[in-house]
Amino acid sequence: MPPIKFLVAAVVIIGMLCWGTGCTTGGTGHEQTVLKVLPAGSLLQPFEEVEKAFEAEHPDVDVQVEGHGSIQVIRQVTDLHRPVDVVAVADASLIPDLMFRTDPATGTNFTDSYTPFARNAMVIAYTNKSRYANEITSENWGAVLSRPDVRVGISNPMLDAAGYRSIMVTLLADRYYANSTLFTDLIGRHFTPPLVAEDVDGVATVRLPEVLHPSDEKLVIRDGSIFVLSHLEAGGIDYAFEYRSVAEGHDLRWIDLPPAIDLSSQNPAEGYGKVKVVLGFQRFSAIGQDRIGQPIVYAVTIPNTAPNRDLASEFADLVVKESESGGKGWPATLGG
Amino acid sequence: MIRAAIPVCILLVLSCWCAGCAGTAPASPPVTTPADDFSSWRLTVNGSTVTEYTLEQIQKLPATAGNGFAVSTVGIKYGPYICTGVLLTDLLAPSGGISEGEQAWISAPDGYLWVFDHDQVQGNGFITFNESLKEIPSPPLRILLMYEQDGKPLSYNDGGPIRVAIISDEKGVVTEGSAWVKWVDKIEIKKA
Repeated sequence: MPPIKFLVAAVVIIGMLCWGTGCTTGGTGHEQTVLKVLPAGSLLQPFEEVEKAFEAEHPDVDVQVEGHGSIQVIRQVTDLHRPVDVVAVADASLIPDLMFRTDPATGTNFTDSYTPFARNAMVIAYTNKSRYANEITSENWGAVLSRPDVRVGISNPMLDAAGYRSIMVTLLADRYYANSTLFTDLIGRHFTPPLVAEDVDGVATVRLPEVLHPSDEKLVIRDGSIFVLSHLEAGGIDYAFEYRSVAEGHDLRWIDLPPAIDLSSQNPAEGYGKVKVVLGFQRFSAIGQDRIGQPIVYAVTIPNTAPNRDLASEFADLVVKESESGGKGWPATLGG
Repeated sequence: MIRAAIPVCILLVLSCWCAGCAGTAPASPPVTTPADDFSSWRLTVNGSTVTEYTLEQIQKLPATAGNGFAVSTVGIKYGPYICTGVLLTDLLAPSGGISEGEQAWISAPDGYLWVFDHDQVQGNGFITFNESLKEIPSPPLRILLMYEQDGKPLSYNDGGPIRVAIISDEKGVVTEGSAWVKWVDKIEIKKA
């Protein structure tokens, strides 16, 4: 081989070797730090905004957002031991319950603190195509949803906090409205055998079966909110129990519910704790089957094993700041 | 000239190294997982009788292959894969099978559990989507205990040595990922 050709070949081969060993730079000319952020599914849309804003401020950082259900988000750290920088959940109580405990690998807690930053409310989401869309109001929503030709959707309570919160809304409605049988009409009687709400020491308690297959077409259950909403937008169902921020983010119409029902109030006097859903089985060994009614509060934390703590802290601060500014798809700020 | 090229090559390698292209820690540490040595792994099938399997024993059972494609609760798709393994119904048969009114509880050492009713064990009652995640009528499905994905042994990171896969003879059929239990080590038959 002529010497000059040898030199060119050597340069090309070494260049390819470098590229093949992970030297891609994403077009920035230098290696980027990956910031792994795991939010609950209902935060995915607003977190896209935070990701863009953060990357604009930090061109050297590639924010990678990966959504899961809230419990699965935490499990990525506690059970699957993945290196995660930021965790954000739709149920703040899960953090002390699941992460304020010792990580056997490090001898320290998975985390020691968290920042509640937003709240949300359950609403009845619908579209212009929904049956009786022009009739439904905050006053008659129960009667409209109970009509035999109306189909209703919830996400799977085994998998999604919005799912068991949907059931809680019907139980709270039965406490709030006189002569209400919404839990039975919308959920209970659409299983074989029917699900019943038992009074256990003053708490309306529903025990779910292991496999959640409704026995008729009135009630539709899907694994995650996105599939329920897809069904709603396609006209397969008429109404869905959903978070207000998600309904807004999907440009849906929605009916607001009274604070005594919608799980948005921080006032203990609302009595959310008077309803309980017992899941059909213990899907995760780390957390029990009981879900007791409480306000919907979002929280963010940085695991003690986060690879990039300083950046993670900056990202969490930006989440809180952006949340305070609000915007489409954001849950309401805690102070608002 | 060749001698002149050697220092050039050394300089190139060094510059790559200095630029973080070799030997430096990756931006995000890799997931720490046990090596893919499954020799101590055992699968317990607890039906009317209790049977324990090694991976080698599982691999000697009649194998089935099919198309598997899963989606997470937030819409992340995993696949499509060619899944190879043992049908759940075949695996349950030596332990007494599953009858009407019974359920298969499938769990893993990471603490995850999923429950299938009798109908699902027969391949019925699953929600299915096309590749655009639009719901479609379910074609015939089967539950597989997968040990090979796309012709390669299932790695630990992918849920190996054994994970649940919901398979179809058709391509592009997506099923809900909650049922795709990773790292399966126990199957129990229980009354509903």
